[in-house]
Amino acid sequence: MNVIGIGGAGGKIAAKMDDSAILVNVSRIELEKVEGGGERIIAPVQSTLGQFRGSRKDPEIGHDAYLTIRRRLQDIVVGGMVFSSTGGGTGNGITTGILQGISNIDDELGNQGSTIPVQDRTFFCLILPYDGMESAEYVNNSIDFMTGPLADVIDKGCTGNIVLFSNKTKFTEKIAEEQYNEMIVNSLKVFMSIPDKNENMKLLESHIDHEDFTAFIAKPFFNHFNYFDYDPSKSFGNQLKANSNPLLLEAEEPIEAMFLLEVPSGQDHTIFYDIVKYFVDCKIPPVYSVVENPDLTKPFVTVSRLYSRKPYELLDDFNKKNLELADAKVQKSLEQHVVLEKLEVNFDKEAKRAGKQKGVGDDVLATLKRIGKL
Amino acid sequence: MARINDDSVDLFKDQLGRLGESHFLILYWCAQGEDKGIKYNITNCFDDLKHVGITRTKQTAVSMVEALWSLCFIDIREERNRKNIYITKHGARALQQLVVLGGFSVKSSSFLEGNQA
Repeated sequence: MNVIGIGGAGGKIAAKMDDSAILVNVSRIELEKVEGGGERIIAPVQSTLGQFRGSRKDPEIGHDAYLTIRRRLQDIVVGGMVFSSTGGGTGNGITTGILQGISNIDDELGNQGSTIPVQDRTFFCLILPYDGMESAEYVNNSIDFMTGPLADVIDKGCTGNIVLFSNKTKFTEKIAEEQYNEMIVNSLKVFMSIPDKNENMKLLESHIDHEDFTAFIAKPFFNHFNYFDYDPSKSFGNQLKANSNPLLLEAEEPIEAMFLLEVPSGQDHTIFYDIVKYFVDCKIPPVYSVVENPDLTKPFVTVSRLYSRKPYELLDDFNKKNLELADAKVQKSLEQHVVLEKLEVNFDKEAKRAGKQKGVGDDVLATLKRIGKL
Repeated sequence: MARINDDSVDLFKDQLGRLGESHFLILYWCAQGEDKGIKYNITNCFDDLKHVGITRTKQTAVSMVEALWSLCFIDIREERNRKNIYITKHGARALQQLVVLGGFSVKSSSFLEGNQA
């Protein structure tokens, strides 16, 4: 599986995830700063002033950059894992291009997107800004991204799982960026190791092989995964709730689930029935597997829940925060006591004058007369 | 008779009130295409709307074109496997009114500009 890191944040995390990760950025300097990773792809964007050295947090620039490497990138992301933040310009812009590219793939009948084979679906890890403490620019970019290209691909069902990491814990717990990236990667590795553990450990019940796992992560839903030491004497549901993954957005009502239970040697592994029952009670019979892990002293469970939610619903918090910031700005401007002259404006006249100034009206009317429609 | 006339004026005003920038641009672009003798079709329209950042999906472009067709502001003719768009006299009047009211400004069609070059 190709691991691809787009932009600053995406690149740093992808490089930690995989030594051969492909890193993409508009800036050579940014690319050189990233430690680790493999191939580096520069997406050159030029203006009349010369080559851009960054995307100025402007997704349009990121998107222009994407167009310069489109063909190459579309091949690389097939069946791959893409890391990108949604707040900045490069990650947001280039990932927008990738998503649009995926959703425009046609099959021979002209159906778009949803016919992409399971093994070719792209797994997206998106890093969302924390609306409580990050700039309004990041939040606005994320809102545009989620209501635009992300909503499109979800509607068409043409991606694999989408994991929504949030910077909330980073800010509230005051964690250094490098350490936080490490936490994201380690957390993801626990989830991604499910099929390998099935392969390498003694199977006690059922199994999740690489094909099962690929099929699961190819489903076009949001994925919330978490893991914890499981105490069979307590309710599984309460433990699941208490051990929600702090790096991810909270899971909504799941529609599919998978779990891997690892039990120490010699312990009763039938405790897995309680977990199965929990999910069956939630009306989502899970994909599961139980293995023996001799290195453990307590049972350990890794759970993944897939949930479907419209991206705009996820934005409620962002929008609320934006409204608060806008109110604060209005309040500040009111406090400046600027006295404005009262202007008497006739909007009809002004509109006509503005139209004439631009020469727009005359052009259009002349065109209509020439073609004999007026 | 006078009553019918008043009603149609009201209807026309209401129809105009429901037109957005995208409708304005589509009317303008197909008039411009006809003026230049270039066939302007739904795909060109989608590309242009995408280029000016109004929509990212073809379905939206198609629904905008269909709305204009329903209002009798454009004709859609199937010619050589292309659905070409032509502004009607009603459409021309609507475009004229939108220009006079000055609510929207013209954006260039990359398809028509490209053809010109």
